[in-house]
Amino acid sequence: MSVQTRSRWAPLTESRVWRSFFRHGPPNNPLDRSLVMTSNIFLHLHPVKVNRKSLKWSYSFGLGVISAILFGTLVFTGVLLMFYYVPSVERAYPALLNIQVSVPLGQFTRNMHRWSAHLMVLAVILHMVRVFYTGGYKPPREFNWLVGVGLLLLTLGASFTGYLLPWDQLSYWAITVGTNIAGYVPLVGAATKSLLLGGPEVGQDALIRFYTLHIAVLPVLMMLAVSIHLWRVRKDGGLAINDSNDAGDKVGEDAIGN
Amino acid sequence: MATPNQPTVTDETFPKQTNKTYALVELMHGEGPMVGKGPDGTVFSFPVVLLIEIILVLGVTLAVFLFSLVKNAPLEAIANPLVTTDPAKAPWYFVGLQELLEHMHPTVAGVLIPTCLVIFLVLLPYIDRSRAHVGVWFSTPRGKRIVVWTALYTVIATAAYVLLDNQFSLREMLRDVVPVWVAQGLVPALIIAIIVVLPALVLRLRKATTRELMIALFTIMLFSALIFTLSGFFLRGPGFKMYLPWQMPNGYNPLDGL
Repeated sequence: MSVQTRSRWAPLTESRVWRSFFRHGPPNNPLDRSLVMTSNIFLHLHPVKVNRKSLKWSYSFGLGVISAILFGTLVFTGVLLMFYYVPSVERAYPALLNIQVSVPLGQFTRNMHRWSAHLMVLAVILHMVRVFYTGGYKPPREFNWLVGVGLLLLTLGASFTGYLLPWDQLSYWAITVGTNIAGYVPLVGAATKSLLLGGPEVGQDALIRFYTLHIAVLPVLMMLAVSIHLWRVRKDGGLAINDSNDAGDKVGEDAIGN
Repeated sequence: MATPNQPTVTDETFPKQTNKTYALVELMHGEGPMVGKGPDGTVFSFPVVLLIEIILVLGVTLAVFLFSLVKNAPLEAIANPLVTTDPAKAPWYFVGLQELLEHMHPTVAGVLIPTCLVIFLVLLPYIDRSRAHVGVWFSTPRGKRIVVWTALYTVIATAAYVLLDNQFSLREMLRDVVPVWVAQGLVPALIIAIIVVLPALVLRLRKATTRELMIALFTIMLFSALIFTLSGFFLRGPGFKMYLPWQMPNGYNPLDGL
């Protein structure tokens, strides 16, 4: 069967163009299964081999991967919404009405963006809870825990800045309440608040600041931090369950290919 | 200033051809690294991990897709700085802080407590450094019991504090007796501190490990955040006053504000 498949695709997979893209043969042997991961910029964040224990669903519940997937959904639907959204106090709300009424699948795209955002905040929190209760923050994973705490704060920031953009009563007053809390900080509170809002209250200056943070600054920082986070999981020896001795079998700390 | 066409001494060049293709670096006596260890229990990431990830992508996207078909994202009237919505609530992940603000001075609720939580999360991996039981949910059966009892205690203690303080407002009772910073700052902060420290003292007496202490503190943080968030989200109606969720006046539905 495999021989037949190979011969059928051979004209493609053995062509010079294909070989210039992929520097490995069909991944049906250990060497090419390693190369398929290490020679691909997207896949190389994965280890070449993983411990069977780390694939156990009841250990991780896939919450980190789910958070990353939701981030991808948010980038995709967010870019679609950006084609129609205008960050101005006069045009933002009409743009929202336009997206919901006139743009094909506009309401649906906005729904996907909204619900993915709420779900991502929840998934990130649950991911942190999982990592804590399984002791995943212990050495040598302290640094990655800190990256994770940073990612939690970035996720909250991304959700909070996006909250203002519809420019309806719900978003306006939620952001007013939220930024008022920042104003209570002694000494620097008022300065922090006016840095966020660009003025004493939520207006055009706040909208453009929140928009820029929401569509550029925070997503770029998050992509960077997620890359470090995933790469570091691999460098620290995979999930913490690989280091556990309780399952009875002795697993070497260096079992994961780096 | 070296003479041209003559290689300088510092530039080492590799010879064009050599017959020697290997070198004996050192002769080691001893056993191989895998002696005394079982099979390492790993599998190639390709294709297992990628298949799991694709299934998760399809599953998560389908779930958000279906939910987006049945539930639209909310859009209220255009933002109006002159008309306050009632109640005006922060996004759900900050509504716990808003609930805290109802019970104490803004500097304690909005600054002191969130700062303590972030500092706790940042310092956590540097305080609890033991590698025992890493990668095991709740570390030990005793750890699991600590989670259950601390969670139960926290839910009862914080819920009682929220409900009692709402019924007999402590800061109103102390308004004319002591200065504001005592009535609204010191007293509520002490109550929260006692709620947090009490289980830690009990564990100290029972010779708990650092990990067990951290488990208790994290559980208190998690479940008190849960209670404050649920109370702020579901029990607060117009005027941010407390109502039963099914008895909200003016047809207010907390879920409309998601």
